[in-house]
Amino acid sequence: MTADPNKLKSIKEISRPDILFAVAALSEAEIFVGSSDFKVHRLNTQEEKAEPSELTGHTSYVTGLELVGDQLVSAAYDGKLKWWDLEKQTEIRSIDAHAKWIRRTERSHDGKSLATVSDDMVCRVWDTANGKCLHELKGHQAITPNHFPSMLYCCAFSHDDRFLATADRIGHVVVWDLKSGKEVTSIETPEMYTWDPKARIHSIGGVRSLAFSPDGKQLVVGGMGHVGNIDHLGGKSRIEIFAWEKGERLHELIDDSYKGLTERLVFHPSGKWFIAAGGDNAGFVKCIDATTGETIKDSKAATHVHDVRLADEPGSLVTVGHGKIVLWQL
Amino acid sequence: MTKRRNWFCGSDEHRISRRGFLGTAAATAGSMSALNLLREPVLADQLKKQDKRVILLWLAGGASQLETWDPKPGRATGGPFAAIPTCVPGIHISELMPKMAQRLDNTAIIRSLNTKDGSHDGGARMMHLGRRDEATVKFPDLGSVLARELGQADSKVPDNVSFYTATEGRGNAVGQAGFLGARYMPMSLTTNSKPDDLSRLESISDLDHQQRHELRELLSNKFIEYRHSGSLRSHNEAYARVRGLMSSDKLFDISDEPESVRQRYGPSLFAEQCLIARRLVEAGTPFVKVSRAWWDSHGQNFETHLELVSELDHVMSTLLDDLKERGMLENTMVITLSEFGRTPKINASLGRDHFASAWSCSLSGCGIKGGSVYGETDDDGQTVKDGEMDAGDLFATIYEALGIDPHTEYYLGSRPIPLVHEDASAVTDVLA
Repeated sequence: MTADPNKLKSIKEISRPDILFAVAALSEAEIFVGSSDFKVHRLNTQEEKAEPSELTGHTSYVTGLELVGDQLVSAAYDGKLKWWDLEKQTEIRSIDAHAKWIRRTERSHDGKSLATVSDDMVCRVWDTANGKCLHELKGHQAITPNHFPSMLYCCAFSHDDRFLATADRIGHVVVWDLKSGKEVTSIETPEMYTWDPKARIHSIGGVRSLAFSPDGKQLVVGGMGHVGNIDHLGGKSRIEIFAWEKGERLHELIDDSYKGLTERLVFHPSGKWFIAAGGDNAGFVKCIDATTGETIKDSKAATHVHDVRLADEPGSLVTVGHGKIVLWQL
Repeated sequence: MTKRRNWFCGSDEHRISRRGFLGTAAATAGSMSALNLLREPVLADQLKKQDKRVILLWLAGGASQLETWDPKPGRATGGPFAAIPTCVPGIHISELMPKMAQRLDNTAIIRSLNTKDGSHDGGARMMHLGRRDEATVKFPDLGSVLARELGQADSKVPDNVSFYTATEGRGNAVGQAGFLGARYMPMSLTTNSKPDDLSRLESISDLDHQQRHELRELLSNKFIEYRHSGSLRSHNEAYARVRGLMSSDKLFDISDEPESVRQRYGPSLFAEQCLIARRLVEAGTPFVKVSRAWWDSHGQNFETHLELVSELDHVMSTLLDDLKERGMLENTMVITLSEFGRTPKINASLGRDHFASAWSCSLSGCGIKGGSVYGETDDDGQTVKDGEMDAGDLFATIYEALGIDPHTEYYLGSRPIPLVHEDASAVTDVLA
């Protein structure tokens, strides 16, 4: 059974005392979550009596998790990238990957490399086998036009792993060619960034999620639209779909029903639709038609969603966020 | 740690003033109000000649104590930022303040404010007045009291200046001179960093302007000769100072500063206004409030503080360095204060909400024991564990550090009104 977006519904919620920023799925039942308690937790979502275990070593929020072979790689706001032996539950390797917070990790589709983005405004691509840095991609400004520190929030590999997209706080998106390590093109999404020069004199927003379509033609960009009162995540969730090679914006999805940041975008392998998830205080999960930009099915989530994992077969989705793990059926 | 009431800070400088006040007060008790005592020329001059100044950095909207002065790393409430050591062994502050961490030897941190009012308007009034207004009494705020106590009557510079350029929360932080009268209200700058309409019109010569002033003064004095109205007198005093204030407009123009100084402060509006504040206190203005709004981070608290604390750290440390290099820090106090702090609990928008039960402020420079921390919160920052202070205690401490007896009484009719509420007392631990 493959995933059907029309059948999206939550089937189980697991409450947690912490904030979960990342999830990696070992199997349909067994997952790892990256937590605000600085740990990686391994737990069984089907058997709650199963003894959970934890991997300790980070010294700040764990914001990225990727499975590479029989190892897990974790990234955190402490700037470190750690490799873990899943059988022995021990740390294999630790790298001072960045000078500032690592905001996101993404594994290439062939599993050979891993990208990290950080508030030091550098994207680094790592060899998952030995931890060597393969590329260092610098093209985002460290300071916003309003003289504040910028942030590099997200990245995504194209499905052939040739291109990597990165995006920052002011809505600047760069596509890199990983053969040459050079910038191919850039896209501006200024609506994702709200600078309030009058009432509050600071900013909110930024591009929080990216995804290439499986055919490599579309690049989907997620965040939040302009906000009137930047004290809150009160802007409408926002997605822009680009034919990136042409620099053409195909769709602009502004959702009147759901507020807050679009934290994650994940394409279904068919390329016909993708999942968008995020939220403000509350959360949302949406299945969106990639051709028309129309929402196929959406649902409120119990709380703000920070990360998702989609398994096409047997059509399951796990979301993690503020104090919740939610299992979904598609 | 217990809070100790203090009647003077113990320094020789303050002891002389204190004795002078007490001696004169004893000699004149019952016949002269404390308000008048302060006007007694010798004593008033003694205090005023010390050129004590205050710059209040008003962090409007509520800065988080956890991301500034009272970090709780590793706790569920602590957030993602680490604590870093400072130049004072044993004291750690948020990693967002690396520059202040190297300058903490001039700063005292107070970590035990419990001010009980978590509303923007009520909290802001409380932290401006040091207490609540009464139904029939409007109290003067910190700026007005300091303008009154530290200002020179014949000063050619404004003695109370307030910058609040952002629009959010401005109404909560307006100046209030209360029963001291409009003379002590701040010159309030809200649209830009330079007073509007302060320059003399080009069509009027200086001689014309002087003669107009003298004519207005003559008519006005005749009008109030047989009237007893405080507001009329305040009005007249304000006019009397106009010519002096007009000559001070250059103080607001930072193009007079070397480029290197402007670059050092940085390009932000807050930086620009702090540089103007330094120029004003250097010229003799006793009180300047620079408001930096808006810290109300119900959503994305960590991003907001990454922006605003980074700016505060740079600008505040530059200001302290600048004052120190000019030999002014000994006589200039720099305060960071908000209407409240922020909740230890992190909400689902990764925000923190209003919290007045256990929060922090800082005092630097004049009369302050640098490199000290007063008060303690519990492991999660939920409650004050030791050294609880309210707004009155904080104000008493500020006054004491400036050499002003916080229990000085003004008289409103026959009612004595001390500078701070009657239960308030200064915390000696943070006084030099």
